[in-house]
Parts: sequence; C-alpha cells; structure tokens
Amino acid sequence: MSPLRRLWNVLRRDRLDDELRQEVDTHLALIEEEERANGAGAQATRQARARFGSPLVHRERALDGVMAMSVENIWKEAGFAARRLVRSPAFSVAAVLTLALAIGANAAIFAVVQRVLLNPLPYPDSDRLVDVDHGSQRLNLPSGLGITRGYYYQYLERSRTLDGIALYAAENATLTGDGEPERIRTTRATASLATVLRVGPAIGRWFSEDEGQPGGPQRVVLSHGLWIRRYGGDPGILGRTINLGGVSMDVIGVMPQGFAFPDPRVDAWTPQQITRSMGFGIWLYGAVARLRDGVTVADARTEMNTLIADITRAFPGDEFAAGNSAGIALFSTVRTLKEAMVGAVARALWILLVSVGLVLLVACANVANLFLVRSDARQREVAVRVALGAGRSGIARYFLAESVLLSVAGGALGLAIACGAVRLVVSAGPATLPRLAEIRVDGVAVAYTLLLSVVTAFVFGAIPLWRSIPLGPALNESGRGNTATRSRHHARRLLMGGQVALALTLLIASGLMVRSFQKMRDVDPGFNPDSVLTFRIGLPDRAYPTRAAAVAAHLAILDRLAALPGVVAVSASSGLPLGSGCMGNTLLVQNRPIPPGTTPPIARFCAVAGGYFEAMGMRLLGGRRITRDDVERSLPVVVVNEALAKRVFPNQNPLGQYVSSNAPPARAEGAPGPTPLEIVGVVSNTPSRSLAEPDAASQLYMPMSIAGGPGIPPTALLGPDVALMAFVVRSSTPPSALLPSVRGAVSLVDPKLALALVTTLQAMVDSASAQMAFTMVLLAVAAGVALMLGVIGIYGVMSYIVSQRTAEIGVRLALGAEPRSVAAMILRQGGAVAVAGAVVGLVAAFAGSRLIASLLFGISPHDPAVFAATTVLLLIVAALACWLPARGAARLSPVEALRAD
Amino acid sequence: MPKHNNDRLQGTLDLLVLKILDRSGAQHGYAIAQRIHQATSDSLRIEEGSLYPALQRMTHEKWLKAQWGTTDSGRKARFYTITAAGRRQLDEEERRWLTLTGAVNRALRFA
Repeated sequence: MSPLRRLWNVLRRDRLDDELRQEVDTHLALIEEEERANGAGAQATRQARARFGSPLVHRERALDGVMAMSVENIWKEAGFAARRLVRSPAFSVAAVLTLALAIGANAAIFAVVQRVLLNPLPYPDSDRLVDVDHGSQRLNLPSGLGITRGYYYQYLERSRTLDGIALYAAENATLTGDGEPERIRTTRATASLATVLRVGPAIGRWFSEDEGQPGGPQRVVLSHGLWIRRYGGDPGILGRTINLGGVSMDVIGVMPQGFAFPDPRVDAWTPQQITRSMGFGIWLYGAVARLRDGVTVADARTEMNTLIADITRAFPGDEFAAGNSAGIALFSTVRTLKEAMVGAVARALWILLVSVGLVLLVACANVANLFLVRSDARQREVAVRVALGAGRSGIARYFLAESVLLSVAGGALGLAIACGAVRLVVSAGPATLPRLAEIRVDGVAVAYTLLLSVVTAFVFGAIPLWRSIPLGPALNESGRGNTATRSRHHARRLLMGGQVALALTLLIASGLMVRSFQKMRDVDPGFNPDSVLTFRIGLPDRAYPTRAAAVAAHLAILDRLAALPGVVAVSASSGLPLGSGCMGNTLLVQNRPIPPGTTPPIARFCAVAGGYFEAMGMRLLGGRRITRDDVERSLPVVVVNEALAKRVFPNQNPLGQYVSSNAPPARAEGAPGPTPLEIVGVVSNTPSRSLAEPDAASQLYMPMSIAGGPGIPPTALLGPDVALMAFVVRSSTPPSALLPSVRGAVSLVDPKLALALVTTLQAMVDSASAQMAFTMVLLAVAAGVALMLGVIGIYGVMSYIVSQRTAEIGVRLALGAEPRSVAAMILRQGGAVAVAGAVVGLVAAFAGSRLIASLLFGISPHDPAVFAATTVLLLIVAALACWLPARGAARLSPVEALRAD
Repeated sequence: MPKHNNDRLQGTLDLLVLKILDRSGAQHGYAIAQRIHQATSDSLRIEEGSLYPALQRMTHEKWLKAQWGTTDSGRKARFYTITAAGRRQLDEEERRWLTLTGAVNRALRFA
C-alpha cells in the first residue's frame, strides 16, 4: 500500500468500519444458523453473541490496529528516508537550499499577490463596492475625472442599480492645539460613506445626515492612527473640541484600526456639507457606491450612461450641467473599487509571480538532476529491493519519501526566507504599491507554500522515478562502462536544455525592464531636482479669509526663507511636477471662436510666486519669466509651457496672445469671471503625473495673486486655490540640514502654520520611478537566481557525464586522441544542448515579452539589443560551465582513466 | 517487517489462521473459526470475534489477501487467502513455535 493510500485509510476509518461491520454481521448470522440447526431456537441470537464476543469491541480493536500500523508506517518510511538523507549531507544541503531559495521567492511574491490582489478589501461584501468615475472622449481623458455634485445627486435620486452612493474629497488642513501645529490629510465625506462601506467608528459615532447639511454643526471623526499619535489613545476624546484649519470641531468618533478610505494616509473625516440646490458644480469629488444584489458593474455603467444623457433635465438652465455631458462625450467608467485601487499594479505582480514560478521550475530541474545522479548510484540497491519483492509502489515510496522530506524542509526554510523578504517589501516597497501596509505572510500564503512544496516534491521526485521503473535488467549490469544508459543521458540533457531556456526567458524579461528603467531615469524632467527642499503650507481660511491675505502671507514666508543662510533661490507654486495642485480646465484663446461641436484645448493652470522658474531650474525658451513684481501688481500675464505653445499655437508666435480659463458667463452672484491673460513667456515641459508620459500636458503658470483662493468660489474657475502652496527652497547646503531653520522661519510668520509633505525634488523624481524600480529589481533577482541555478545545473550535468565516460575517454586518450579534441568533444556536446535551450528560450521570450509590454518604457518588447546581449551573456556563462568539466576530461591521464572503474 | 512475538496468544492465533488458510485455500471468517474448533477439538475456546483484529492486521501485512464473495447461503463475506509472504511468515512462526515448545517441554521434563 502506498503512503498516500495509508493516509487515505486513516482518513477513511468510516469506510473501513462499514466493510468490517458487513463481514462481522455475516459471521454472526452464520453462527445463528448453526445454533438454530442445533436446536437452540429462541436462544440462537444470544448463543451467537456469547460465542462471538462483543462485535463492537472486536471491530474497534481491528480498526485501531490497522490505523496504528498505517500511521506508524508513514513515520517509519519518513524516518528511513531522513536517515538516508543525513548520510549524504552534501546532496541534502544542496537540494534543500536550492528549494528553499525558489520556494521562498514564490511564497514571498504570492504573499504580496494574495494580500494586494486576491484578498478582498477590508469592507463587508467588498466585491459589491464600485468606484464611480468618469471619462471624456473629447477631453482625451479615458478616466479619472471623478464626479460632480450634479451627477452625485442624479445617481442618488434616480439610480436603480445602486444601493447607496457616497461623495468624498481629500484635502489638507492644519491641526492646532495639543502641541505642534500639524498639517494632516482629511477627507470630506457625505454621511452615507459609513453605510455604503458598512464600516462604523470603533468608538463614538459617524456623521448624521443633518451634519452633512450646509451650516450644520462642525464635527470630526479621527483615524485610529491620529488618535493614538496625537491624543495618546485618550478614551475621553469623544466630545473634545479640536481646531482644524482654524475651525473648532467636536470629535464624535474614532474609526477602527486599519480603516483607510480613500487611502491609508487619511487622518480625519469631516462632513461634506452640500445640498442639491448648490447646483451641478465642477469635477471636485470622488465617489464610491454599493451595487444592489444581482446587479453587475456593466448594468450600473449602462444605467449611468443613460442618466448622463439626461443630466440637463435634472439641472435645467445650469451651464455646468450643459457643458459637462454629451458635449464632451462624457461616459461612465464605473468599476469595482478593488480594480480601481490595485488595477494598475496587477499586471506587474502577476508577471513577477510567473517569473518566480519559472525560477522554481529551474530549481526543480536542478534537484531532479541531483536525484538522477543519486538514483544511478543506487541502481543496484533498488534492483536488490525489487528482487526481494518490493513492487513499483515500494520503490516509488522509497524515492517519494526522500523528495517529500527534502521539499518540506526546503518549504519550511523558504517560508522563513519569505517572511524576511515580505518584511523588506513592506518597509522598502514603493509607496505607490496599493495596500502596502496590508502585506504579510498569512495563513493562505503558508498553505500555498505547503502545497507548492508537495507539488514540487512530486515534480522532481517523479523524474528519477520514471527513469527507474521498470528496472528489471539493472542487476545484470556489471560495473563497467555502461551504467548510465543513453536514455538516461537524454533525460539529463532535456533538463539542462530546459534550464537554459527558462533562464534565458527570465534574463530577457529583466533585461527589458532594466533598459526601461534606464530610459526612464534618462528622461529630461525639464527642471533641476538637485538640492531642493520642498514642502506644502496651507493657510486656514478663518485666519486668511481673502486671496490678498493669503498672498501676503506667502510672500512674507518667502522673504524669511530667502534670508536663510545657504538658500540660493526660493519660490512657490500651487502644484509641483509629478504632483497635484493645478487646476485642469479648457482654454479660450482670444479672437478664436470655438467651432460648434468641438471642444477647446485642455490645460493645467498653476499659480506661482515670482522666481519660480529660476528656483526650479526650468529653462526659458522665449519671452520672460514671472517676477515678484507681476505678483505684487497682480498683472494679467501668463507663462505657458512648450507643449501648450506647440499644441495651441502651431506655426504661430504664442507671445503676445491672450488666453483665459474657459468658464460659463458670470452668474447673478457677481463672481469675477476669468480675464484674458497675455502670454509673456514659454518654458520647458515638466512631467505632470509620471516620468513615462508619452506627451507632456499643456500647462500654464499665472501669478498667484490673480488665481483662485479664499473668498473666491471655485466655480469662478480663475485658477487653483492659492491657500495651499508648495514651496521650493534651493540651497547650497544639504536640503535636510536646512529643515530646522526653515521651520523657524515659517513660525516667525505664523506659529500656527505647519509644514506638510516635506521632501526633496530628487525624492519626488525617485518615487516616480519607484514602482518600475521595484518590478525591475525583483525581476532581476529572479533572473539572477535562475541563471545561477542554471549554471550549477549545467556544470553538474557535464561533470557527471565526464565522470561516467572516464573509461571511454581513457581509451580514446590511450589510442592517441589529442587532449584538445577530447575537450572539444565534451564542449560540443554541452554547447549543442545550451544552444538548443537558448533557441527555445528566445522563442518563448519573443512570444511572452508582449505580456510585459505595458510595463516597459521607451523600448520595444522585442528590442534586438536586449535579446542579443542576454543571449550572448547566457551562452558565455553556459560555455564556461561546460568548459570546466571539459578541461578536466582533457587532463585525464589515460592510465588512471582506464583504471577508474 | 513488524513481528508480534511479544504476544504469545496473538502469535498463536496468527499461526493457526495461516496454517488453516495454507491448507484449505480461500475461507471467510466463520469458516476459519469452525476449522479452529475442529482442529483443536474445541479445546481452544476463543471468542470468534477476536479473529477479526488478527485478520485485518495480517491482511495489512500482506500475509493474507482478502476478496469479497458470497457464502453458500448467499451472504456477502470476505474470503481470505494466504500470500507468498504469508507462507514465509508461516514457516517462520512454525519454526519459532517448535523451538519454543521444544524448549519448554525439555524444561518441564528435566527441571
């Protein structure tokens, strides 16, 4: 009986018992018949019981005996295997380490995939949650517009596919009192957020609908992190008043630990105070909704598109509603919340999982090779066992017990490696990797590792097995010459070629990633990121109620900063490259009417202080820069980037042209409408979202004193809100050393102001390529390990073949063969296998590299240079691995070689 | 191979069962019990049920082979036959039994 069968028996005690019961019943019935025939009559049944004894007791004893033997035999088999393995420590250690490395890598990447991609989001029935987003064909935005108040109310009132929808908007605010002022991230959300997500506060309560009405009481719910960090987990926090952005708010609740909506950096939630009568509005918000039971995402999308077409009826006479629907070819891009969160990294993670899977195959091939060598050495031992009556299953047990033991040991060690690797990923992984904090080796990952170990054991354990059975003639083989048969070498060459193919495939993939990363790092960012400290300062509306007050405060801070020792240049902007903070809107060019049915060009509007381009190191391509004077005199001027100049003014001089933000005619309230701004300069492009942008976004820079700000409604669309500005401080000293004096300078202007998102421009550039670096490093490690294992495998096979052919080589040498020609013969053999493997690897890589095309940047997935370079590298290394055994063969002394067997 | 020579009664039962099956070919549990009674002239009274732990164990050791069949009266029963390994075991047990009883006999005579 095989070990598995035995294990099965243990698990199927009931089945065994049923059979036994049937057998015992028959026996009892036969005794009864006999007794009845002997005239026992009514006593027959009792007589039968007396002769048989208790059926229950005997059955139990029979079963217990069999069970004990089954379990005992499994242990015994494992014990024998363990003893055999301990007797050949070199083999065992090599096999366990190889497996541990490969299984560990698989377990680690699986843990990441499982926690990030597979594990449901931490909300009840999270698969029913959707991210409500929009895209526009006319604006060339496939997604990411978010939502407006108008569509929120449209879906809230008329959707039949949604079971609740919540609106939210992320912002920053300064928290004062109880220590240093601190810039924290807050999220304004409608009261429905808690019901849509089905998560309530750990202590206290969430907002009520009344608190979500304009003019309602000011309330705040804290994150668990903020509560612990700033208030020491004070249980008396409820009912306390905190000062957020100059507004006093009552703390009414603390969310549970790990609640991170919309992202883990949120410190507090405040009510989004809106009503339908505020009108359609602009694209300021995000939304999350819950699908009704039985409704698919596609159903919701269809319904939303219908509701989009009908928006003008819901907001009659609202120009924003009219301008943000069919006119810009608006469509719903609703998708599951999980997809919205992790969709961008899914492909990279799956590819990494496949890569480490290939590494595991290489490792299996290596260990299978070791096993082949070992099983050759024990061919006679196995043959003796067969002769003594061990069946196929007995021999299978013999080998599988060893491979399972090795594999489980490798798996256990691999799990330890995975735990370390996962901790490294969490601490050093890119911040752009969503759900990073959730990553750990959980029960599912442990189960996966165990399963992988067992499957691995059968994969590499089965190969020598398939070679060993049938093994009838083995005993006939005398010692000399032909112990390893031709077919045996054939199996080895197949494994070796497979390793070469897999290693080359991984090498090419990582080569493509490395080249992409280099290209990304070579991208000219359009500014000079060296030695520039940057941070954000947000002015609370209460203390700085007007745009003029805000601008004056920023100018005062800039003056203080400029006076610090070591500071070379200083300025500020509403938005930095690779960051947010600019206002996106369509652009009107003076004296250029918009043809009906077309959409004006779209551009990003930034508000800057004087000297911004100098401080950033951006190149001036024509005209002049924006100066302190422009800001102080609120001159209606603007500087555009090269992309805008080329796109909006092809074959035209942009200087002297007038442009303005495109807004509907000013409304009854008399808000100031956008004024035409004269283009006075053109500057270099800077990346807006990522370094890998195919086309730079059109961008323009206006003096901050004429942009949006406190006291100016965002619907006026003048420009970004200048209450929040990003400061850039270029210094001759290291930026981090400058930080204390910068804090001091800011607090001299207003001690209640806090610095947020303190970093350097270089760090921002680095983090923009961090995700690609992450994928690249992991792929390169996988390829490196595969190459290393492959080389060891080739070397092992070639050495073994040489050792098996020692006698033959001796004969050749004795008959006068040149040592060089013997070496060449061995090299040719190994080389042929390596080349064949490389060809297979090239074909596989050529077919498979399209899968990673979306991860690449600036390089074709079939880049000939990468394919050629990696193939040459692999062949050189393979040749080296063949050459060492070949040289050994050439140096054999014929006399010794002939004596070898 | 596991041995049971530490338990003499069990070893004796094994020996009897193996011997009977070696002589007679396939038998079910009831028939084996009948043969034991006949062969020992009812002097060795054992509970017939205690055959089953022994049959199960020896089947597991592959000394016996079990196959389902029907009795003369049409009942379902398991029929046991002895295997090659079982015959080897029988030789061994027989030899050991003779050695032991011989030694005990000598001891009783000369002690």
